[in-house]
Amino acid sequence: MTAMRVGPFELETLRIGNGRTVLLIHGINPIHPDSPFLLKLAADAEVIAPSHPGFGGSPLPADFDTMYDLVNLYLAVLDSLPSDDVTVIGFSFGGWIAAELAVANPKHLGRLILVDPVGIKLGGREDRDIVHFFNTDPGELDQRSWHDPARRPPGIHGLGWQATISEKMTDQEMILLARNWDTLCLYAWRPHMFNPQLKHWLHRISVPTKVIWGESDRIVTPDYGRAYAGLIPGAEFTIIKHAGHHPELEQPEAFVSAVTSFPDPRR
Amino acid sequence: MELWNHCENPYPFVPAEVLDAAPAVRASLPNKYCEPEIAAGLYDEVFEEYQHCDDIGLNIVTNEHHSGINNLWAASPVITGIVARLTKKVRILSLGTLITVRPDPVRVATEYATIDVISRGRLDIGFVKSGATEMVSGDANPMRIREREWEAIDLIEKSLTSHDGPFSWEGKFFTHAHVNIWPRPYQSPRPEFWAATSDLPTCAELGRRGMINTLLFGGYDRTRTAFDTYKKARAVAGLPAPGEDRFSYMAFCYVGDTDEEAHRIGQKIPWFLTVSMKSAPQMSKFMPGQIAPEMTPAAWRAGVSKRPTDLSVESLIRQGQMFCGNPDSVVRQIKEFRQRVGGVGRIIMMTRQGLVTHAEAMKSFSLAAKEVLPQLQGLNPVDADMPTAAQ
Repeated sequence: MTAMRVGPFELETLRIGNGRTVLLIHGINPIHPDSPFLLKLAADAEVIAPSHPGFGGSPLPADFDTMYDLVNLYLAVLDSLPSDDVTVIGFSFGGWIAAELAVANPKHLGRLILVDPVGIKLGGREDRDIVHFFNTDPGELDQRSWHDPARRPPGIHGLGWQATISEKMTDQEMILLARNWDTLCLYAWRPHMFNPQLKHWLHRISVPTKVIWGESDRIVTPDYGRAYAGLIPGAEFTIIKHAGHHPELEQPEAFVSAVTSFPDPRR
Repeated sequence: MELWNHCENPYPFVPAEVLDAAPAVRASLPNKYCEPEIAAGLYDEVFEEYQHCDDIGLNIVTNEHHSGINNLWAASPVITGIVARLTKKVRILSLGTLITVRPDPVRVATEYATIDVISRGRLDIGFVKSGATEMVSGDANPMRIREREWEAIDLIEKSLTSHDGPFSWEGKFFTHAHVNIWPRPYQSPRPEFWAATSDLPTCAELGRRGMINTLLFGGYDRTRTAFDTYKKARAVAGLPAPGEDRFSYMAFCYVGDTDEEAHRIGQKIPWFLTVSMKSAPQMSKFMPGQIAPEMTPAAWRAGVSKRPTDLSVESLIRQGQMFCGNPDSVVRQIKEFRQRVGGVGRIIMMTRQGLVTHAEAMKSFSLAAKEVLPQLQGLNPVDADMPTAAQ
């Protein structure tokens, strides 16, 4: 882990590999350095994965507590990178950040990949598009988040992490999970995991975009994903089989293949 | 010393098999299990108890919780407003409306000022931070509620004490461009403020502000530590030592003719702990913001509850969480509690709880007012040499 300084903010940052720049914007928890998908991506790319303020080892500054703060922070992160052709991959909650980021059309953004993102409201006022992260039984959350909860990678946490708590877990691991959960809630309790205005602005995204979805995701369904992709001009939509809300964790090979097969028209 | 009657007006009539099967009896239990006719009868009974308290000199506490069997006082200002009109003499404490859940503290100030005028200055205002189930019921972000609570208190206080036309508030959590409440409160400068907490930084701030600190079922050691923290914060700030009237304590309480009768009826009261607290894990130990991340390993491994495991009347009395017996026994228990926590001036009795009946509650209140309260007047100062919890 290294530290990235962006203006007054310090971000714990994972850097791995060499090649074109790929910025990962994490979801429920920071990107785990042992994640198989990460190692595969880094085979021909420089992968940069900061922890959001309040997640992992990144400090949470006073009054830093909104999506507005996160979007501006990541705009500053993009500005700070030497490449003018950065691939941004956003996962779940981080997919929401990435979509907001792309709406601003930052000049360093080359292409956008959203992985089971939240962030928009599609259904009627009594339809819940996104299962409530904080007010759902942890067991149900676990079942809905994974195609096969029993086959999740050990020690690498996604939604439903509560089901993995055991005596084998270290105190430090629990403390980090609790800190991440608290901070996620701070940013996104209400409206729960969406910006009511965002869907009206997705048409401004002008970079090549791919939306990747786990076929078994029952936190936000593939139908939501298809509609999300439909609001972004020219966006591709790809389903990953045998994966839930975290296809990068459940099916790392298929996930990386979906990423690397995404043609980059600028090249 | 003062005695206060705190009743949450529980609804204990949901079938046990429903409660056993439900993941939570707060926040998510369907309201089809709340029969309006039964609820109407409960409101009648408890308002009658409050009127009885007014006649015999027991002060009254209302509070609010939402969407569960533990509490039919879903809006404390509504209930407190009714009590203000039904009573004539005693003081009334709203402990309180949930200011961490309510979006507009100015509206809260307006409601309380109105009640203070209706009661002709008998209102006390209490603040509570709210538990995790309330964050769900109120759809309020559970993060940073301590900071939100203090800003709400500040805005309520400013609203109650500003009398020269509109002022503007642009805070971290609340904005209100034009604040000018009518009526202004009856009491000047404002009704007394209370807060229910054992959180030590909050106790210290209460001390600096001179607000009344009440603890709920804290037992001897936690209560002593909280009150000592309050006193120390005042001393460090160079403020005068607080009187006993700055300290309050709520316990289960039943006063009977005999110890045997009191213990038999009093054993119904811990229903509050055994049945009415059942909460789903996402609304308790996994709810964000409830405990510092550093505390989670112990909480997740052992369970988050600090509740006593032995809930017999005898055990609860021994731990200072219940005052129960014949009048002399209850006097002795309260006096011992007062000594061991370093002084307390306001005892809040939770009596009408669980399956305690209206008649049983009325009897306990009568005995408390007639036989207990007089013996708690003109007490000698607490022994300053009593050991503190830390020793």
